[in-house]
Amino acid sequence: MASVVLQPAGHREVLMGNEAIARGAVEAGLQLMAAYPGTPSSEVGEVLLSAAPESDYYVEWSLNEKVAFEVAAGAALTGARTLCAMKNAGLNVAMDTFMTLPYGGVKGGMVVVVADDPDAHYSSNEQDTRLLAAYAEIPCLEPENQQEAKDMTKAAFALSEDLELPVMLRSVSRISHASGDVLFGEARAERNEIGFNKHYEMPYRWDVYGPPGAVNKHKWLHTALVRAQAKANESPFNTLVKPKGAKLGVLATGLGAAYAKEALNRLGVGDDVAFLKLGMVFPFADKLAKAFLQGLDTVLVIEEGDPLCENFLRALAQEDARNVKIFGKGISRIFEPYGELNTDIVTAAIAPYFGAQAPAAAKEAIRQELAKLVIPRSSTLCAGCSHLGTYCALRTALSAYPEDAVHIVNGDIGCYEQAGYGIFGGDLQIDNSASRRYQAESPYDVLDTLYVMGSGISMAHGQSKLGYDKGKLVAVCGDSTFFHAILPALANAVYNHSNICFLVLDNRWTCMTGHQPNPTTGLDAYAQEYPRMEILPIIKAMGVEFVRTADAYQKEDAVSAIADALAFEGPAVVVMEGECQLQRQRRVKKTMAKTYVNAEACSGCKTCVQLGCPATRFNAAEKKAGIDGVLCVDCGLCQQYCTENAIRVRRR
Amino acid sequence: METNIIVTGVGGQGSILASHIIAEAALKEHGETCRVRVGETFGAAQRGGAVASHVRIGEGVYGPLLGRGTADLIIALEPMEALRLSVPYLAAGGTVVMNTGMQVPVDVKVGAVEYPSLEAIQGALQRLGKRVVAFDGGELASEAGSAKVLSMVMLGAAFASGLLPFCEETVLSVVAAKVPQKTIDTNLEAFALGKKTYQQAVHA
Ligand SMILES: Cc1ncc(C[n+]2csc(CCOP(=O)(O)OP(=O)(O)O)c2C)c(N)n1
Repeated sequence: MASVVLQPAGHREVLMGNEAIARGAVEAGLQLMAAYPGTPSSEVGEVLLSAAPESDYYVEWSLNEKVAFEVAAGAALTGARTLCAMKNAGLNVAMDTFMTLPYGGVKGGMVVVVADDPDAHYSSNEQDTRLLAAYAEIPCLEPENQQEAKDMTKAAFALSEDLELPVMLRSVSRISHASGDVLFGEARAERNEIGFNKHYEMPYRWDVYGPPGAVNKHKWLHTALVRAQAKANESPFNTLVKPKGAKLGVLATGLGAAYAKEALNRLGVGDDVAFLKLGMVFPFADKLAKAFLQGLDTVLVIEEGDPLCENFLRALAQEDARNVKIFGKGISRIFEPYGELNTDIVTAAIAPYFGAQAPAAAKEAIRQELAKLVIPRSSTLCAGCSHLGTYCALRTALSAYPEDAVHIVNGDIGCYEQAGYGIFGGDLQIDNSASRRYQAESPYDVLDTLYVMGSGISMAHGQSKLGYDKGKLVAVCGDSTFFHAILPALANAVYNHSNICFLVLDNRWTCMTGHQPNPTTGLDAYAQEYPRMEILPIIKAMGVEFVRTADAYQKEDAVSAIADALAFEGPAVVVMEGECQLQRQRRVKKTMAKTYVNAEACSGCKTCVQLGCPATRFNAAEKKAGIDGVLCVDCGLCQQYCTENAIRVRRR
Repeated sequence: METNIIVTGVGGQGSILASHIIAEAALKEHGETCRVRVGETFGAAQRGGAVASHVRIGEGVYGPLLGRGTADLIIALEPMEALRLSVPYLAAGGTVVMNTGMQVPVDVKVGAVEYPSLEAIQGALQRLGKRVVAFDGGELASEAGSAKVLSMVMLGAAFASGLLPFCEETVLSVVAAKVPQKTIDTNLEAFALGKKTYQQAVHA
């Protein structure tokens, strides 16, 4: 069956926002796409890859977002229509180039898809990257639904070419990972011509330093922005509905407009409300907003993220409509400046301004009472995940040190970050001692610091150079993270004589984001075989004296390698090997597990439960461990850690 | 017309597939007049986390999420997930179709909390909505030929409730189009078993 994005015009289907964005790019005549995976943006690349064999564009998984951005930018300078996609945090990585490319702009249309994550479903933070589009001074589009996500992506290429600027399409989780009905449009048949002209329309166009220099190029950007603002005022994605005599107005952007429409319907109001819906949010559609403000006395602003358009509106009102009262997330708050919106929140917040009351759900008291019965479901690593072996070995090796030692295990981002998720069902405590040792009862409490990709190792290095001596300094990272952000950080730690133990958890895939291939996989993005790029020789080449591999599934090997690395003076690296179990299971046909617990031999000590594997069970009444034969993959880890020899393997 | 449905379970159980089958079937029959939305939350879904898909079908539908207390139907592949979603979302007149097979969270295993009894969960669901149909869907899935078709068993049962706004022929054609070719028969068998079980439970 042809990929969903290659269906003909007129086709209608329920598409995920990311699929809709991919379809929009196909309709626009995409020529190149580069991305680094990141939830909730990854499916844009995955879907385009799935259609690539039947299409004429190029797609790659770049090794980080800055690289992806530059790949797309370089191609756009030669006239191609290019796309790059990333999650919110990805843009932080690409920032350097992102801020400077607009000074000369682009020739072919370049669209930068950034998927934000209000409510941090999949992210370290809730940042609103629309502010970064405004910061870099490039146009920003924000879809209300999946149909608009497709239409806007297509239109963004034309807009980008028209203005000669990269254009940001800002999505959010509830667009990218939600689905909606989409009607397909015509796909452009022609492709942009590829060429290069060093002095195209401006001397040294693609060289910010070349005469007339960076300031003049910044000046050019501002002339482009004036044209961009005119576009915003005329954009089909920006609409103003203003009934005669309206006093109350609603300004809603992107998904906020969907919530606003539903909330007005629910309250049964809206006929006499001025409604300004903004889909092109930067530059701010000033003329449209002026027309909107005229004659209003109150405006309610509904936007997902930070008060971006709200602040633009306030600035405009300061000149033009001083008496209008503006309510949103900024100065006069009707919404919290964190978390995400939904129709219930919007309805409740705006109801008072209509003299209305938000309809209450039935049985509210019963709901409150029964909520106490709901228990959390903390996420876990998969059954038989190689990271379980690494963390258990690390805990075992660290436990050999004196009981009062306060080790610091600096985390990083990947499936293995779950070792910092903690257990939500437990009692959360604080303590004000300067230093204190905590015992990790499961792998989910092993990491002590956890921020963003690549941050762990340099934090450990900083602690090392400071002379931290209350315990051991450890950092971890995965194979995809290694190529994304660790290379310079590791070289730095080595060059500056760090004394840390660094574990590279090589499971051969970029797992957390859906198992994309990377240089350690042995496959390229098109799933064609490609020689594995080994991590060990790279580390050796940096001059690390202590570097070895260990099998994450072999307790003795893993524990002794980590123990030796901890004891070593200087930077010591262990590459923990063990392919992602999910990927392995896709090749090896899974049968019922042969591993079982001999109940007589089990002492109920829970050592196996502390391994944190979802396949281990514990019967609290009988104080006996058990194994879930459907989940268990017979990896042998719990068997090796059982002190009573109670976990055994059935022979068939 | 507006129909609001939640399909929920634990990562890997197939609730997302079931929700997309419902959405696509609804689009096939009502695409000209209605909007269709599927809103999802699946934090670390592959790793046994809680997964919930909000499916909305109707003329006045814009956003991806249900309002509090508006679910006409909750299809739950796991009892605690049935409760987690029913507490905020089940409408007073709503129906829950639930698999009784529990997936015990790590929080229980480490002794931080206790998993309530099935009776307590069913009792709670009864108080929240109008009708609760609970059965061992895993057993029926195995009967159909594979533990992996649990979500089709539950979809069949949900279909029998009459709350899904499309006919059987439509949904079966979408099932056949969305599941791997080799597993079509098993999936259709699972659907039929679920449907029969619901009918028997309601008429018993
Ligand atoms: C800057 C940035 N880009 C992308 C992501 C999304 N992301 C989360 S984990 C991860 C990669 C994990 O791969 P790896 O390091 O190999 O660990 P694994 O999940 O395989 O254990 C990515 C790309 C992110 N969190 N931050």
